[in-house]
Amino acid sequence: MLFFSYFKELVGKEVTVELKNDLAIRGTLHSVDQYLNIKLENTRVVDQDKYPHMLSVRNCFIRGSVVRYVLLPQDGVDIDILHDATRREARGG
Amino acid sequence: MASAGPGLESLVDQIISVITNDGRNIVGTLRGFDQATNIILDESHERVYSTRYVLINCDLLPGLLSNALIGSLVQNSAISNKFLSWCLKVCCQHEGVQQLVLGLYIIRGDNISVVGEVDEELDARLDLSNLRAHPLKPVIH
Amino acid sequence: MAAAAAAAAAAAEEEIAVKEPLDLIRLSLDERIYVKLRSDRELRGKLHAYDQHLNMILGDVEEIVTTVEIDDETYEEIVRTTKRTIPFLFVRGDGVILVSPPLRTA
Repeated sequence: MLFFSYFKELVGKEVTVELKNDLAIRGTLHSVDQYLNIKLENTRVVDQDKYPHMLSVRNCFIRGSVVRYVLLPQDGVDIDILHDATRREARGG
Repeated sequence: MASAGPGLESLVDQIISVITNDGRNIVGTLRGFDQATNIILDESHERVYSTRYVLINCDLLPGLLSNALIGSLVQNSAISNKFLSWCLKVCCQHEGVQQLVLGLYIIRGDNISVVGEVDEELDARLDLSNLRAHPLKPVIH
Repeated sequence: MAAAAAAAAAAAEEEIAVKEPLDLIRLSLDERIYVKLRSDRELRGKLHAYDQHLNMILGDVEEIVTTVEIDDETYEEIVRTTKRTIPFLFVRGDGVILVSPPLRTA
């Protein structure tokens, strides 16, 4: 649940989601669910010339299972809070 | 578990563009979906982004090719390779995007990478005959 | 009083004890770690968060991607590594092959 909660805190922020097929999509985080499926708004593919497949898409749903990375804003969440939440989760929270 | 997660409710009866794990792009109207992201698409078609070329200038080709052959005899192969690809550019044109009619389609969630909401206005403005793309890599889990 | 001290000591003990693999990762929190991923990727970065799937958040990450190309003419394998740095990164756990704690030098 840790990362589900973390991403919920991040709603409204700009992120770049890099997929396992090397496609990278940048957009505003709209929502997330327990599978870490992600919905982005105002999306653009980072390398549009190479991958023009989503030129007419502004909002999209990304299946959690195909995510490799999410590049996060640095002012996301307090790091100490992250550490505490992680320790709590490790204890079987 | 009830949550305001990123369900696909808001996209029902809208035109969506799906990218599958094997790198295909399918466009159609979303009629239904479930928890596992299995989806029902109506009036769907696949957009096949070609990397192939079609011949448009047949009469120029023999002359150019014989020049390329002579070139490969007198010059090193790297230069003649470049010349050959230039010949191809002169005589051929990119095929553009082919639209393959699929109709009513059910796509299993496990094979879905991205579901995009198609902005019909933007989509109408695309010149599909002049659009080329690198092939999308398959998703490897 | 003594009981409270014993409980605190037990809690401290529990913080340090390594009974299962993930305990080793807990001890690496806030330390720079090495992560090997699928598709020939490696990461080095500071571990800020993780869960039981090995989903992670890393800070000041250096990513190294190794690619092998075949030369058109000589058919030789050309190994290339591409480096990039990412300030703050979420990594999905299903791609993780191994996690190595920081090297402790004296």
